[in-house]
Amino acid sequence: MEYIHVDARGDACPIPVVKTRQAIATLPAEGGAVETLVDNEIAVQNLTKMADQKGYAVSTQQREADCWAVTLTVGASAAEAPAPLEQPAAPTGSGAVVVVSADHMGEGDERLGRTLLKAFLYALTQQDALPSAVLFYNGGAHLTCEGSDSLEDLRNLAEQGVEILTCGTCLNFYGLSEKLAVGGVTNMYDIVERQLNAARVVRP
Amino acid sequence: MKRDRTLQLILTFPSAVAAMDMEDMARELGLPGRLIPIPTAITAGCGLAWKTEPEQREALERVLWEHDMPFEAFYTMLL
Repeated sequence: MEYIHVDARGDACPIPVVKTRQAIATLPAEGGAVETLVDNEIAVQNLTKMADQKGYAVSTQQREADCWAVTLTVGASAAEAPAPLEQPAAPTGSGAVVVVSADHMGEGDERLGRTLLKAFLYALTQQDALPSAVLFYNGGAHLTCEGSDSLEDLRNLAEQGVEILTCGTCLNFYGLSEKLAVGGVTNMYDIVERQLNAARVVRP
Repeated sequence: MKRDRTLQLILTFPSAVAAMDMEDMARELGLPGRLIPIPTAITAGCGLAWKTEPEQREALERVLWEHDMPFEAFYTMLL
């Protein structure tokens, strides 16, 4: 079985995923395995998520304090034929994806904007038809972390089957990687795919 | 999906700023409750309201008077 090694230590999200995808694309038709070395847990999560989405077997081994080896095993034909475009998670109702790209809603007064966004997320919990996912990036990443006033609402949505996903690059940028309090971490591929595949995208 | 509804106390305000001031004051004093968009059962208009447990009414009224906070009305409703 063909076995490819990728060293993505020192690479920022989403480069480890990019390098791994490129390596998978070079595997022969009978499949093989790609072992990617990364130096942070968010990269491990992103690779695992990618493997789950594509249907690859995945195993992770922590080799040192800052070194993980993530091995993706690709079955026959999966290497050659591109995996079908992933569908978003089963819609909980509306088939919509909500994108929160700031810690406030609308432009104008910041205090009002933060209040409006909190009100928006509360009102979202009150809907009968819920979105399949709520994506948080840039300043929106603060909303899913410790200290956010919206955690109760976001946990409520998560309990109802709505995926709560925050951009890993953004958590890292704002020093929030250890403070995520609800939902999971995602990467730019997932953020793009979910919006492309959504019945509609709602941006408060 | 049907949500479980519980009886809640809703307080309305004459302005959005008054509602946001209420939130700041509640945080400062450690009062339970939260700001929500005003329920459509109260008015079809837009606005913000304070939501808390019905048993908080007495304490809430006292704080409103003590701090001279402008407010409009109390409602008790299933939310």
